[in-house]
Amino acid sequence: MSSSREQIFQSLQRKDRPFPSAEAPSTYQHMVPLRDFSPEELEAVFIENAQNAACIVHQPASQEEAINTLLELVGEDKIISSWEPGQIPLDGLETALEQAGIARVGEDAMVQVGVTGVDAALAATGSLVLSSGNGRYRAASLLPPVHVAVVSRSQITEDLEPWLAKQRTSGLEAFRQASNIVLITGPSRTADIAMQLVMGMHGPRELHIILVDDAV
Amino acid sequence: MEVQSNNFIPAARIAIHDADLQTAVAMGTDSGFDKRQAVMFADGKDHGEAIRRQAAAIKRNALNSLPDLLEQAEAAMQENGIEVLWAVDAAEANRLVLEIARQHNVRSVVKSKSMVTEEIGLNQTLESDSIDVLETDLGEFIVQLGEETPSHIVIPIVHKTKESIRQLLIEKADMPPTDDTDEMARFARNYLRQRFLDADMGISGGNFVIAETGSLCLVSNEGNIRLVTSQPKVHVALVGIEKVIPTVEDYATLTQVLPRSATGQTMTVYTHMINGPRREDEADGPEHVYVIFVDNGRSKIYTSDYCEALACIRCGACLNGCPVYKVTGGHAYGWVYPGPIGAVLTPLFVGLENAAPLPYASSLCGMCKEVCPVIIDIPRMLLDLRYDLVRMGYTSLDWNLGMKAYAFGGASPRLFSWAGKAAELATKGFKLNSLPGPLAGWTDYRRMPTFAAKSFHQLWNETDGDLEDVDEQ
Repeated sequence: MSSSREQIFQSLQRKDRPFPSAEAPSTYQHMVPLRDFSPEELEAVFIENAQNAACIVHQPASQEEAINTLLELVGEDKIISSWEPGQIPLDGLETALEQAGIARVGEDAMVQVGVTGVDAALAATGSLVLSSGNGRYRAASLLPPVHVAVVSRSQITEDLEPWLAKQRTSGLEAFRQASNIVLITGPSRTADIAMQLVMGMHGPRELHIILVDDAV
Repeated sequence: MEVQSNNFIPAARIAIHDADLQTAVAMGTDSGFDKRQAVMFADGKDHGEAIRRQAAAIKRNALNSLPDLLEQAEAAMQENGIEVLWAVDAAEANRLVLEIARQHNVRSVVKSKSMVTEEIGLNQTLESDSIDVLETDLGEFIVQLGEETPSHIVIPIVHKTKESIRQLLIEKADMPPTDDTDEMARFARNYLRQRFLDADMGISGGNFVIAETGSLCLVSNEGNIRLVTSQPKVHVALVGIEKVIPTVEDYATLTQVLPRSATGQTMTVYTHMINGPRREDEADGPEHVYVIFVDNGRSKIYTSDYCEALACIRCGACLNGCPVYKVTGGHAYGWVYPGPIGAVLTPLFVGLENAAPLPYASSLCGMCKEVCPVIIDIPRMLLDLRYDLVRMGYTSLDWNLGMKAYAFGGASPRLFSWAGKAAELATKGFKLNSLPGPLAGWTDYRRMPTFAAKSFHQLWNETDGDLEDVDEQ
C-alpha cells in the first residue's frame, strides 16, 4: 500500500501543464508603484500611512526625549513587557528604566505596555516588520493593550518588495532562521459585528511608534 | 460538513424573504465591494489591472508545477524544523490532527479561521474525542456559539445583525447586556484571552506556502492568529495542497492583493511568515509546528478542466460583487464555499449530483471574474458545469421537453417561422400577465413581452439586410 503522500503525488500527475501559456512574471510590478523618494519624503510617507492605519506616531527631538516619551506612555506601571534593550534603538534605555523603577519581563499576560524595536518599517503601507529571535519576544507586541515600537529613521524602507529583495540578496538564510516574522500594520481590529470597526480585538488597542535617529 | 446544496432554491427563497438577512448581507457586501474598488485602483486603473494580471500569472505558473513545488516546500519546511504530513481526504486529516493531539496530551485547542477545517468538519471530530475546541476569530466564535456555519469566506457572520449577535452573546456566553459594539468585542476579548493562555494546541489554516523558504503565511486583523500560532506549545496548520507558490516575490504580490480584494486594506493588520517552531535561543513561540497538506478532492480538480478554480486565494471579492449572493446570503449554497466561486468549487468537491442547482445560481453577469484578483473565469466554468449537468441528465422534465421542442422547431427555417407566426397570432391583442401551466414560473417575476408583428426573417428579406432604418415595430 502506498503512503498518502505518494497517493497524492500520483493523483496530481497530468499529461500537460494546466496553463500552457502561463509563466512567472519576468519583472514584478510593485503593489504600490515605486517612486524616487528622498529619505525625508520617505519618512513623511511612512508617517502618513502609519497614521492612516491608526498608529500614533511620536517624533521626539533627541534620544533623551524619546526615552521620556516612552516613560510617559508607560505611566504609573512598574512593569513592562519588553524586548532586550540591546534590540531597541534607544541609548541608555536600560539605565532609564532602572532609575524609574520599572521592571522588564518577556512575557506576562497582565502587563499593560509592551516595548519593542523593529527590523524595518515599510513606508507605502505604514507597516512594521518584526522578526522573533533571541530577546525579541513575540508576546511584547501582542499581549499588552498598548504596544510601543521604537523605529530608527534608517530602518524606513519603501515597501514589502524591497525589504524582501534585501533578504534575497543576503541569501534568505536569516529570513528562514527567524521562526516568526510578522508585518504589523496598525493596532488589532475587527469589523465582524455589523461592519462596525472596533480597535483592540485580540492584540493591542493602541500602537505607538517612536521615531528616532540612530542610536550611537 | 453536510452537503445541502441540492436544497439551494428553497433555501434561497427563504433567505430572500428574510428582512434581517437582506439588510445585513447588503451592508457587508456593499462595504467590501466599495472598499475594494477604492484601494485596488488607488494608483490608477492600468496599474490595478496590471497587478491583477501579475497575480493571475503567479498562481497559474505555480499550479503548472504544483507537484514540484510541494516537494520543494516539504523539504524546506523540514529543514526549518516543521513536521510535514499529508492527508488524502477529510477522514485522514482529522485522524492526523487527533494523533498529534494525543501525542501531546492536548485537552484544549484554540483555532483561527480556516475554510479547510470547515471542509473536513474538524471541530466535531475533536469534540467527539473530548477535546475542547474554541474558535477565536470573533465572527467564527459567534458562529460556534450559535451552532451555525460561516456564511461568507471572509466575514463569517455577514448574515447577522448586531441585535442578533447581542442576543446570542447574552444567552450563550452570559454577556452583561449592552448595545455597544465596542463593549461586545471587549467582552469576547476577555472571554477568549484566558483560553488562549491555557490552550495546549493552536490550529490554523494557511493562506500561502512559499516553496523556496518553507514559510507558512497567514493574514489576520484581529490578532487571534498571532495568539493561536505563538501561545500554545503545539501549532498545527491545515493547508490545501494548492496553496504553494514558488518565491518570496510571488508572495509579496499575493499577500498584498489579498487584503486589497477582501477588505480594501493595503495590508492586513498582521501579515505572518512562519518559518518553524521557536528556535533554541527564543523564550516564546510553539515548540512544535506541524503542517498537514490536505488533498480532499483537490488533485481531482487539478487534473480536470476546472484546474483554474484552484487559483482562488479566498478573498471573497466575488461574493461581495455577486447579485445572487447579495440576496441569498451564503447558507443557501449549502456547503463550505458560497457565492460564485462556491458555485464552482462545491460541485467539484462534493459531486455535481449533490450540488446540481449551483451552476445555475448565477445570472452570468460576469462581475465575479471582473473583481477576481487572479482573474478566474468563473462564468466559463459555470457554463461548463451546466453542460456537464445536461450530459449527465440532471435537468427537469419541463426543461427537457421545452428544449426538445425548440430543437425540433429550430432545425427547420420553415417550422421556425410558422411557430413564430403562430405565437404572434395566438397572443395578438392580449396583454399576457402570466403564462399558463409550467411556464408560469417565468412570468412570476417578469412581464411577458408581446411578439413583434414581423419576424426578423421577414424584416431581413424586406430590407435586403439593411435593417438600420426599420422602425421598432
